Amino acid sequence: MSWFSGWVIFAAVALVLWGASGVTQKLATNRISSELSFLWFAYAMLAISVLLALTVTMHWHVGRLIFWLSVIGGTLNGLGALTSFAALESGGKASVVISLISLFPLVTVAAAIVFMHERLTMAQVIGIAFALAAAILLSMEPDFPSDVQPGGQ
Amino acid sequence: MAVKRTKNHKSILKELPKRLHVVAESKYSQSFNRNPMSTAATPRTRKTIAGIPAWVLYSLLTIVFWGAWGAVSKVASAGVDSNTNQVFFTIGLLPLILIVLRSRRLAIGTQRRSGMAWAFFTGILGGMGNIAFFHAFVVGGKASIVVPATALFPVVTVLLAAMFLHERLGKLQMVGLMCALVASYLLSM
Repeated sequence: MSWFSGWVIFAAVALVLWGASGVTQKLATNRISSELSFLWFAYAMLAISVLLALTVTMHWHVGRLIFWLSVIGGTLNGLGALTSFAALESGGKASVVISLISLFPLVTVAAAIVFMHERLTMAQVIGIAFALAAAILLSMEPDFPSDVQPGGQ
Repeated sequence: MAVKRTKNHKSILKELPKRLHVVAESKYSQSFNRNPMSTAATPRTRKTIAGIPAWVLYSLLTIVFWGAWGAVSKVASAGVDSNTNQVFFTIGLLPLILIVLRSRRLAIGTQRRSGMAWAFFTGILGGMGNIAFFHAFVVGGKASIVVPATALFPVVTVLLAAMFLHERLGKLQMVGLMCALVASYLLSM
Protein backbone atom coordinates (compact mmCIF):
# COMPACT_ATOMS: atom_id res chain seq x y z
CA MET A 1 0.00 0.00 0.00
CA SER A 2 3.04 2.28 -0.08
CA TRP A 3 1.98 3.66 -3.49
CA PHE A 4 -1.18 5.02 -1.90
CA SER A 5 0.66 7.45 0.33
CA GLY A 6 2.73 8.89 -2.50
CA TRP A 7 1.83 10.15 -5.92
CA VAL A 8 -1.77 8.89 -5.86
CA ILE A 9 -2.66 11.37 -3.13
CA PHE A 10 -1.06 14.30 -4.97
CA ALA A 11 -2.73 13.29 -8.25
CA ALA A 12 -6.08 13.01 -6.45
CA VAL A 13 -5.57 16.43 -4.82
CA ALA A 14 -4.82 17.97 -8.25
CA LEU A 15 -7.92 16.28 -9.69
CA VAL A 16 -10.20 17.60 -6.94
CA LEU A 17 -8.74 21.13 -6.87
CA TRP A 18 -8.91 21.55 -10.66
CA GLY A 19 -12.43 20.11 -10.70
CA ALA A 20 -13.58 22.41 -7.90
CA SER A 21 -12.06 25.44 -9.63
CA GLY A 22 -14.61 24.95 -12.44
CA VAL A 23 -17.42 25.54 -9.97
CA THR A 24 -15.78 28.53 -8.27
CA GLN A 25 -15.20 30.04 -11.72
CA LYS A 26 -18.93 29.86 -12.34
CA LEU A 27 -19.72 31.30 -8.92
CA ALA A 28 -17.47 34.25 -9.77
CA THR A 29 -18.96 34.96 -13.21
CA ASN A 30 -22.48 34.78 -11.75
CA ARG A 31 -21.58 37.87 -9.76
CA ILE A 32 -18.98 39.83 -11.71
CA SER A 33 -17.74 40.21 -15.29
CA SER A 34 -15.34 37.72 -16.86
CA GLU A 35 -12.70 40.48 -17.00
CA LEU A 36 -12.85 41.19 -13.27
CA SER A 37 -12.95 37.43 -12.58
CA PHE A 38 -9.82 36.99 -14.67
CA LEU A 39 -8.04 39.80 -12.82
CA TRP A 40 -8.61 38.24 -9.40
CA PHE A 41 -7.71 34.81 -10.75
CA ALA A 42 -4.44 36.29 -12.05
CA TYR A 43 -3.79 38.04 -8.71
CA ALA A 44 -4.04 34.64 -7.00
CA MET A 45 -1.54 33.21 -9.51
CA LEU A 46 0.77 36.15 -8.76
CA ALA A 47 0.48 35.52 -5.02
CA ILE A 48 1.34 31.84 -5.46
CA SER A 49 4.33 32.67 -7.66
CA VAL A 50 5.68 35.25 -5.19
CA LEU A 51 5.27 32.70 -2.37
CA LEU A 52 7.08 30.06 -4.45
CA ALA A 53 9.90 32.44 -5.37
CA LEU A 54 10.41 33.29 -1.69
CA THR A 55 10.23 29.77 -0.27
CA VAL A 56 11.52 27.35 -2.92
CA THR A 57 14.93 27.23 -4.57
CA MET A 58 14.59 28.63 -8.07
CA HIS A 59 16.79 27.84 -11.02
CA TRP A 60 16.84 31.15 -12.81
CA HIS A 61 19.63 30.23 -15.21
CA VAL A 62 17.71 28.84 -18.15
CA GLY A 63 18.20 29.37 -21.86
CA ARG A 64 16.62 32.43 -23.47
CA LEU A 65 14.35 30.27 -25.65
CA ILE A 66 13.09 28.27 -22.69
CA PHE A 67 12.45 31.48 -20.72
CA TRP A 68 10.42 33.04 -23.52
CA LEU A 69 8.51 29.81 -24.21
CA SER A 70 7.53 29.66 -20.52
CA VAL A 71 6.43 33.31 -20.58
CA ILE A 72 4.46 32.86 -23.83
CA GLY A 73 2.94 29.74 -22.27
CA GLY A 74 1.72 31.92 -19.40
CA THR A 75 0.16 34.42 -21.81
CA LEU A 76 -1.57 31.66 -23.80
CA ASN A 77 -2.83 30.03 -20.62
CA GLY A 78 -4.06 33.42 -19.37
CA LEU A 79 -5.92 34.06 -22.63
CA GLY A 80 -7.55 30.64 -22.22
CA ALA A 81 -8.52 31.49 -18.64
CA LEU A 82 -10.07 34.76 -19.85
CA THR A 83 -12.11 33.06 -22.59
CA SER A 84 -13.18 30.28 -20.21
CA PHE A 85 -14.50 32.93 -17.79
CA ALA A 86 -16.26 34.55 -20.79
CA ALA A 87 -17.82 31.19 -21.75
CA LEU A 88 -19.23 30.80 -18.25
CA GLU A 89 -20.39 34.42 -18.10
CA SER A 90 -22.20 34.14 -21.42
CA GLY A 91 -24.44 31.34 -20.21
CA GLY A 92 -22.43 28.11 -20.36
CA LYS A 93 -22.98 25.63 -17.55
CA ALA A 94 -19.87 24.86 -15.48
CA SER A 95 -20.26 21.11 -16.07
CA VAL A 96 -20.54 21.55 -19.86
CA VAL A 97 -17.95 24.30 -20.38
CA ILE A 98 -15.32 22.60 -18.20
CA SER A 99 -15.92 19.23 -19.93
CA LEU A 100 -15.68 20.91 -23.33
CA ILE A 101 -12.51 22.91 -22.63
CA SER A 102 -10.83 19.86 -21.08
CA LEU A 103 -10.52 18.66 -24.69
CA PHE A 104 -7.66 21.11 -25.28
CA PRO A 105 -5.06 18.28 -25.64
CA LEU A 106 -6.71 17.77 -29.03
CA VAL A 107 -5.01 20.98 -30.24
CA THR A 108 -1.76 20.10 -28.44
CA VAL A 109 -1.67 16.75 -30.25
CA ALA A 110 -2.43 18.46 -33.59
CA ALA A 111 0.35 21.03 -32.97
CA ALA A 112 2.80 18.26 -32.06
CA ILE A 113 2.02 16.51 -35.36
CA VAL A 114 2.31 19.67 -37.50
CA PHE A 115 5.27 21.41 -35.84
CA MET A 116 7.19 18.62 -34.12
CA HIS A 117 6.42 15.95 -36.70
CA GLU A 118 5.21 13.53 -34.04
CA ARG A 119 3.22 10.48 -35.09
CA LEU A 120 -0.24 9.69 -33.80
CA THR A 121 -0.66 6.65 -31.60
CA MET A 122 -3.76 4.48 -31.96
CA ALA A 123 -4.96 5.73 -28.55
CA GLN A 124 -4.70 9.33 -29.79
CA VAL A 125 -6.62 8.56 -33.00
CA ILE A 126 -9.47 7.07 -30.95
CA GLY A 127 -9.16 9.99 -28.51
CA ILE A 128 -9.57 12.52 -31.33
CA ALA A 129 -12.73 10.76 -32.57
CA PHE A 130 -14.19 10.81 -29.04
CA ALA A 131 -13.16 14.45 -28.58
CA LEU A 132 -14.94 15.57 -31.75
CA ALA A 133 -18.07 13.62 -30.81
CA ALA A 134 -17.90 15.11 -27.31
CA ALA A 135 -17.55 18.68 -28.59
CA ILE A 136 -20.65 18.32 -30.79
CA LEU A 137 -22.77 16.56 -28.15
CA LEU A 138 -21.80 18.90 -25.31
CA SER A 139 -22.74 21.92 -27.44
CA MET A 140 -26.33 20.62 -27.77
CA GLU A 141 -27.95 22.60 -25.01
CA PRO A 142 -31.49 21.38 -24.21
CA ASP A 143 -34.08 23.85 -22.98
CA PHE A 144 -35.25 22.93 -19.52
CA PRO A 145 -38.42 24.97 -18.90
CA SER A 146 -37.57 25.38 -15.21
CA ASP A 147 -34.21 26.93 -16.08
CA VAL A 148 -35.83 30.08 -17.42
CA GLN A 149 -35.95 32.61 -14.67
CA PRO A 150 -38.11 35.73 -14.72
CA GLY A 151 -36.04 38.63 -15.94
CA GLY A 152 -33.59 36.33 -17.64
CA GLN A 153 -33.20 36.29 -21.38
CA MET B 1 -49.66 73.56 -26.94
CA ALA B 2 -46.40 74.21 -28.77
CA VAL B 3 -44.93 75.70 -25.61
CA LYS B 4 -46.07 72.69 -23.61
CA ARG B 5 -44.47 70.34 -26.14
CA THR B 6 -41.19 72.27 -25.95
CA LYS B 7 -41.34 72.06 -22.20
CA ASN B 8 -41.88 68.31 -22.44
CA HIS B 9 -38.97 67.96 -24.82
CA LYS B 10 -36.80 69.99 -22.49
CA SER B 11 -37.73 67.92 -19.49
CA ILE B 12 -37.19 64.72 -21.44
CA LEU B 13 -33.78 65.97 -22.59
CA LYS B 14 -32.96 66.88 -19.02
CA GLU B 15 -33.92 63.44 -17.80
CA LEU B 16 -32.26 61.63 -20.67
CA PRO B 17 -28.93 60.90 -18.97
CA LYS B 18 -30.80 59.60 -15.92
CA ARG B 19 -33.05 57.41 -18.12
CA LEU B 20 -30.14 56.06 -20.10
CA HIS B 21 -28.38 55.26 -16.85
CA VAL B 22 -31.44 53.33 -15.66
CA VAL B 23 -31.59 51.38 -18.94
CA ALA B 24 -27.87 50.61 -18.76
CA GLU B 25 -28.17 49.55 -15.14
CA SER B 26 -31.12 47.27 -15.86
CA LYS B 27 -29.25 45.74 -18.81
CA TYR B 28 -26.26 44.97 -16.62
CA SER B 29 -28.33 43.67 -13.75
CA GLN B 30 -30.28 41.47 -16.18
CA SER B 31 -27.07 39.95 -17.41
CA PHE B 32 -26.24 38.70 -13.92
CA ASN B 33 -28.18 36.04 -12.10
CA ARG B 34 -30.54 37.17 -9.42
CA ASN B 35 -29.62 34.20 -7.33
CA PRO B 36 -25.94 33.56 -7.94
CA MET B 37 -26.02 30.20 -6.17
CA SER B 38 -28.69 28.76 -8.43
CA THR B 39 -27.14 29.01 -11.84
CA ALA B 40 -29.24 26.22 -13.31
CA ALA B 41 -28.40 26.70 -16.97
CA THR B 42 -27.64 30.37 -16.43
CA PRO B 43 -30.28 31.44 -18.93
CA ARG B 44 -29.53 35.11 -18.39
CA THR B 45 -27.63 35.68 -21.62
CA ARG B 46 -28.41 33.43 -24.54
CA LYS B 47 -25.99 35.49 -26.60
CA THR B 48 -25.16 34.12 -30.02
CA ILE B 49 -22.43 35.04 -32.47
CA ALA B 50 -23.17 34.09 -36.12
CA GLY B 51 -25.93 31.81 -34.85
CA ILE B 52 -23.59 29.88 -32.53
CA PRO B 53 -24.02 30.28 -28.76
CA ALA B 54 -21.32 32.63 -27.43
CA TRP B 55 -20.35 30.17 -24.68
CA VAL B 56 -19.56 27.52 -27.33
CA LEU B 57 -17.33 29.94 -29.26
CA TYR B 58 -15.53 31.09 -26.11
CA SER B 59 -15.05 27.43 -25.10
CA LEU B 60 -13.57 26.61 -28.52
CA LEU B 61 -11.24 29.62 -28.21
CA THR B 62 -10.16 28.29 -24.82
CA ILE B 63 -9.38 24.91 -26.40
CA VAL B 64 -7.19 26.67 -28.99
CA PHE B 65 -5.34 28.85 -26.43
CA TRP B 66 -4.79 26.03 -23.93
CA GLY B 67 -3.91 23.60 -26.73
CA ALA B 68 -1.21 26.03 -27.93
CA TRP B 69 -0.07 26.49 -24.31
CA GLY B 70 0.20 22.69 -24.00
CA ALA B 71 2.41 22.52 -27.10
CA VAL B 72 4.61 25.43 -25.96
CA SER B 73 5.01 24.12 -22.42
CA LYS B 74 5.84 20.66 -23.78
CA VAL B 75 9.03 22.18 -25.18
CA ALA B 76 9.64 24.59 -22.28
CA SER B 77 9.23 22.01 -19.51
CA ALA B 78 12.20 20.07 -20.87
CA GLY B 79 14.54 22.89 -19.83
CA VAL B 80 13.06 24.33 -16.63
CA ASP B 81 11.79 22.93 -13.32
CA SER B 82 8.10 23.25 -12.51
CA ASN B 83 8.46 25.91 -9.77
CA THR B 84 10.59 28.23 -11.88
CA ASN B 85 8.26 27.57 -14.80
CA GLN B 86 5.31 28.69 -12.64
CA VAL B 87 7.06 32.02 -11.96
CA PHE B 88 7.94 32.59 -15.64
CA PHE B 89 4.38 31.58 -16.51
CA THR B 90 3.07 34.31 -14.20
CA ILE B 91 5.31 36.89 -15.92
CA GLY B 92 3.41 35.99 -19.10
CA LEU B 93 0.16 36.92 -17.36
CA LEU B 94 1.32 40.48 -16.63
CA PRO B 95 0.62 42.01 -20.09
CA LEU B 96 -2.89 40.51 -20.00
CA ILE B 97 -3.49 41.97 -16.54
CA LEU B 98 -2.47 45.42 -17.82
CA ILE B 99 -4.83 45.15 -20.82
CA VAL B 100 -7.78 43.83 -18.79
CA LEU B 101 -7.29 46.58 -16.18
CA ARG B 102 -8.46 49.07 -18.85
CA SER B 103 -11.76 47.25 -19.42
CA ARG B 104 -14.95 49.17 -18.67
CA ARG B 105 -16.65 45.92 -17.73
CA LEU B 106 -14.65 45.76 -14.50
CA ALA B 107 -17.25 48.02 -12.92
CA ILE B 108 -20.30 45.82 -13.52
CA GLY B 109 -21.75 43.00 -11.48
CA THR B 110 -23.68 42.21 -8.37
CA GLN B 111 -22.23 41.02 -5.06
CA ARG B 112 -18.85 42.18 -6.29
CA ARG B 113 -16.95 41.35 -3.12
CA SER B 114 -17.99 37.68 -3.07
CA GLY B 115 -17.51 37.49 -6.87
CA MET B 116 -13.92 38.67 -6.54
CA ALA B 117 -13.36 36.27 -3.65
CA TRP B 118 -14.61 33.32 -5.74
CA ALA B 119 -12.36 34.38 -8.64
CA PHE B 120 -9.35 34.68 -6.32
CA PHE B 121 -10.19 31.29 -4.82
CA THR B 122 -10.31 29.86 -8.38
CA GLY B 123 -6.72 31.00 -8.89
CA ILE B 124 -5.63 29.51 -5.57
CA LEU B 125 -7.33 26.17 -6.39
CA GLY B 126 -5.81 26.11 -9.88
CA GLY B 127 -2.33 27.06 -8.63
CA MET B 128 -2.40 24.57 -5.74
CA GLY B 129 -3.69 21.93 -8.16
CA ASN B 130 -0.68 22.59 -10.42
CA ILE B 131 1.72 22.24 -7.49
CA ALA B 132 0.10 18.95 -6.39
CA PHE B 133 0.17 17.71 -10.00
CA PHE B 134 3.91 18.36 -10.39
CA HIS B 135 4.61 16.99 -6.90
CA ALA B 136 3.00 13.70 -7.94
CA PHE B 137 5.95 13.27 -10.34
CA VAL B 138 8.49 14.27 -7.68
CA VAL B 139 7.30 11.46 -5.38
CA GLY B 140 7.49 8.84 -8.11
CA GLY B 141 4.29 9.10 -10.16
CA LYS B 142 4.65 8.07 -13.80
CA ALA B 143 3.56 10.66 -16.34
CA SER B 144 1.79 7.93 -18.35
CA ILE B 145 -0.57 7.38 -15.39
CA VAL B 146 -0.70 10.75 -13.58
CA VAL B 147 -1.49 12.85 -16.69
CA PRO B 148 -4.45 10.76 -18.01
CA ALA B 149 -5.82 10.23 -14.49
CA THR B 150 -5.83 13.96 -13.62
CA ALA B 151 -7.31 14.77 -17.05
CA LEU B 152 -10.56 13.39 -15.66
CA PHE B 153 -11.04 16.47 -13.42
CA PRO B 154 -14.32 17.46 -15.19
CA VAL B 155 -15.96 14.56 -13.31
CA VAL B 156 -15.40 16.51 -10.09
CA THR B 157 -16.77 19.69 -11.70
CA VAL B 158 -19.90 17.89 -12.90
CA LEU B 159 -20.53 16.35 -9.47
CA LEU B 160 -19.94 19.62 -7.59
CA ALA B 161 -21.96 21.63 -10.14
CA ALA B 162 -24.91 19.25 -9.67
CA MET B 163 -24.62 19.54 -5.88
CA PHE B 164 -23.97 23.27 -5.45
CA LEU B 165 -25.18 24.90 -8.66
CA HIS B 166 -28.07 22.50 -9.36
CA GLU B 167 -26.97 22.12 -12.96
CA ARG B 168 -28.70 19.58 -15.16
CA LEU B 169 -27.42 18.06 -18.37
CA GLY B 170 -29.44 16.89 -21.36
CA LYS B 171 -29.23 13.23 -22.43
CA LEU B 172 -27.00 14.02 -25.40
CA GLN B 173 -24.78 16.17 -23.19
CA MET B 174 -24.41 13.25 -20.78
CA VAL B 175 -23.22 11.09 -23.69
CA GLY B 176 -20.94 13.98 -24.69
CA LEU B 177 -19.54 14.12 -21.16
CA MET B 178 -18.69 10.41 -21.29
CA CYS B 179 -17.03 10.91 -24.70
CA ALA B 180 -15.07 13.89 -23.32
CA LEU B 181 -13.78 11.82 -20.40
CA VAL B 182 -12.67 9.00 -22.70
CA ALA B 183 -11.09 11.56 -25.08
CA SER B 184 -9.28 13.44 -22.27
CA TYR B 185 -7.89 10.18 -20.95
CA LEU B 186 -6.75 8.86 -24.35
CA LEU B 187 -5.29 12.18 -25.56
CA SER B 188 -3.28 12.59 -22.36
CA MET B 189 -1.65 9.15 -22.64
